[in-house]
Amino acid sequence: MTAGTAPGNGAPRVLCETSRALPLVSFTIAERTGSLEDPPGKEGLFRMTSRLIRRTGAGLSPEELDLRIDSLGASLGVDVGQSAATFQGTFISRSLDAFSELLVGVIARPSLSDGEFGKLKRETLAELVELRDHDRELAQRWFRQKFFAGHTYGRSASGTTTSVAAAEADDIAWLYRLVTTPQNFIFAFAGDIDERQAHSIAERLGAALPGGEPRVDSAPEPSMRPGRHLVIVDKPERTQTQILIGCLGTHPKDEDHLALHVGSTIFGGTFTARLMQEVRAKRGWSYGAYANLPYDRHRRGFSMWTFPKASDAAPCIALELDLLEKWVSEGVTSKELAWAKRYLVRSHAFAVDTASKRVGQALDEELYGLPPGYHAEYVERIRALSLEDVNGAIRNRITPSDLLVTVLGTASEIQDAVKSAIPRLESTEVVPFDED
Amino acid sequence: MAAQSTASSARRAKWIDEWNKGAPQFGAVHHERTVEFGQTLRVECFRLRNGLRILLCEDHSAPVVAYHTWYRVGSRHERVGKTGLAHLFEHLMFNETEHMKPGVLDRKLEEAGAESNASTWLDWTHYNIALPREKLPIAVAVESERMQHLVLRDPQVASEKEVVANERRYRVDDDVEGSVSEMLWATAYAAHAYRWPTIGWMDDIQNFNTEDCRTFYDTYYAPNNATLVVVGDVAERRVLELVSEAYGNIEPSVLPVEDVKPELPQREERRKTVQKPTATEKLVIGYHAPAFGDFDHPALSLLSEVLFGGRASRIYKRLVHDEEAAVDVHAFVGPFHDPGLFEMYASAREGHSAEALLRAVDEEIAKVLVEPVNGGELARAKARFELSLLSGLETVDGKASTIGFYDTVLGRPAGAFERLDATTRLDAGDLLRVARRYLRNESRTVLFVEPAAAKGAAE
Repeated sequence: MTAGTAPGNGAPRVLCETSRALPLVSFTIAERTGSLEDPPGKEGLFRMTSRLIRRTGAGLSPEELDLRIDSLGASLGVDVGQSAATFQGTFISRSLDAFSELLVGVIARPSLSDGEFGKLKRETLAELVELRDHDRELAQRWFRQKFFAGHTYGRSASGTTTSVAAAEADDIAWLYRLVTTPQNFIFAFAGDIDERQAHSIAERLGAALPGGEPRVDSAPEPSMRPGRHLVIVDKPERTQTQILIGCLGTHPKDEDHLALHVGSTIFGGTFTARLMQEVRAKRGWSYGAYANLPYDRHRRGFSMWTFPKASDAAPCIALELDLLEKWVSEGVTSKELAWAKRYLVRSHAFAVDTASKRVGQALDEELYGLPPGYHAEYVERIRALSLEDVNGAIRNRITPSDLLVTVLGTASEIQDAVKSAIPRLESTEVVPFDED
Repeated sequence: MAAQSTASSARRAKWIDEWNKGAPQFGAVHHERTVEFGQTLRVECFRLRNGLRILLCEDHSAPVVAYHTWYRVGSRHERVGKTGLAHLFEHLMFNETEHMKPGVLDRKLEEAGAESNASTWLDWTHYNIALPREKLPIAVAVESERMQHLVLRDPQVASEKEVVANERRYRVDDDVEGSVSEMLWATAYAAHAYRWPTIGWMDDIQNFNTEDCRTFYDTYYAPNNATLVVVGDVAERRVLELVSEAYGNIEPSVLPVEDVKPELPQREERRKTVQKPTATEKLVIGYHAPAFGDFDHPALSLLSEVLFGGRASRIYKRLVHDEEAAVDVHAFVGPFHDPGLFEMYASAREGHSAEALLRAVDEEIAKVLVEPVNGGELARAKARFELSLLSGLETVDGKASTIGFYDTVLGRPAGAFERLDATTRLDAGDLLRVARRYLRNESRTVLFVEPAAAKGAAE
């Protein structure tokens, strides 16, 4: 069982589950905020700050620090999202004392040196150029940007070449002071470690950090532009396209969230789901065809992802739109619902089969404001859903008339056909793939 | 403890004797050996009369079980003009059988709450299913059914060829690193079957017919060419009963003698320059390297860690951090049955050339040819390997994959831990030896990737 405690005196919250199966400890030190803190025009600042902490902590040079982490049989990575950020990794449990001391030193005593910041900034700019080689990531980036235009979710956590170039060392120092406070952290440990040891690490870090106000997520709920809109990300010499089609989804706090989750599973959540059967199994158009309904602290999007060859892009989009409309207008069948329930209930065993996954669930509940017992009661709540619940959620949440279609491909070869495949299309925008 | 183990072995022998009296024609069970797997687990190795091997590891840490099937057939068993058949066939194995119409197999597994997938590489094809422990009979039924009763029809073959062609576009044709890696192997090898990609050449994929697939199935999908790996919260006797009954009527096949064409030593460096739609130059190098089972492989893998593994490695630190010439570098030594490549990849930053990256890599390689790596670097490389191994063993799927992979490539179910022991014993002299033996310019292939000018840019 994952034990969660919140000691007094502003010490960080600690989640821990002991498992002696392997001499290994996995950990996540999570911040209750993320790139939503980036000032306008300085997108990417939170991520650069986190990466700079990771490189300049514990009074060591970047090389010394990496050498020390590796030599202890440990890993330490950084992940920054809009609502939360994490320092996470694993270490061999014989290194518990040495690595925990190092970890506290990294987060509490980074030098954030100007020289290393300059290097990191140039590295980040080079990574943004490199990203242009990766069609899937590029398409997802443009989809998010256009879908959530004007909202914090539309701003890239990695930043743009312009915003990264605009970041200054003073910005990093300011952001570090703002967010690196005990109240902002949650510590999660799993594996060959006990609660006392976990608390000791958290308390040492809490004592080493200055106090500060907890950060408040004041981002508004996202909205979506009405109508159907097409964005073509124009990249030369593409034999294949990357297609993302989406509308707004739900938040786990919404009463119909799990009902929509079940509906989405039936539509595109597994290999035998409608989308995969129609696009891949029957027609062979795309290696993958998936629907996705992620959660965050605010409502996120529902989306479909396929990647057919260029000449199949238009018919594939037409098929997807047709499937989407039928899903909304006709709903799912009782037979499909029974299957989806069995799948979700039984496969839940793999969401909780290791201590680190169970701790990860408890951490998610805290970070993203999930309803209490979201994971613990998941199976029972899935079982309790009726056909009306699921079809009602699909009808109420999915909006075939309000959609964003993003297609990465060679515009000159696909544009006309793709436009004609989208009935009631209100706007088309073609953006160069290498534009910020 | 020893007395308890002896008693347990005696009970097993007695049960097997009883079971075999009424077992199906080819279902008689033979216990071959017990292998320690780390500190707390054991792999029990069995074989049915038809040659099917069963590696069973009871792990009661969670109420789940992994059921993996490894076929000892990969792209190395294909021939020119028929490349990609092993991989295409992996796709077809999810289709129709005599007792399951198209789509039923996947739906059965999903209804059981299973996670399933498959993969194909140079030496093997691997089908993995993980499911709640009480659903184990479904995995046994599905895998035994498709081992003996697969149905191959023209429409499914045609549709799956199109899916694979799309997979190829995704992973290779529209992916810079995927396409140049393919080109590297095709250039570095002249004779051995490793010279073609596992996914196959596009022309070959599009030219397969149903008869090709049927011949492949009849030849390679047989119990005496497969190993089951079962890890999880199960009881040995129950697993053996299920497997013996489900597979015990499948006849072994006569496996063809592999037509191996060993690669002759490369005598001079091969270089190519290609243009790709990318913003920056790339460098790809492949040195001929030892087979996974070779005594030198762990040492060369450690040397790869010293040079390329993580931010503290020599070449990453120099090119990405200190000189800011590259945005990424990485490398690995292929884990293959026959000698593979020590493959290195570097992506230049804007304003830096792949030629300059090669000069820097060569300078670093020149150092490890004359000076032993220091103790700190060696310890770091060993710790990274240990962490990587342990991290892969958290789930039943991870354990089953590790056991099956080492058994299939090396014939050693606990090979991962044996490799860890071997790695622990390596010293700087071992790394010096393998550097001098393998990092020779005449045995390498170098590809330079230049950004292609956009069509119409000059107009």
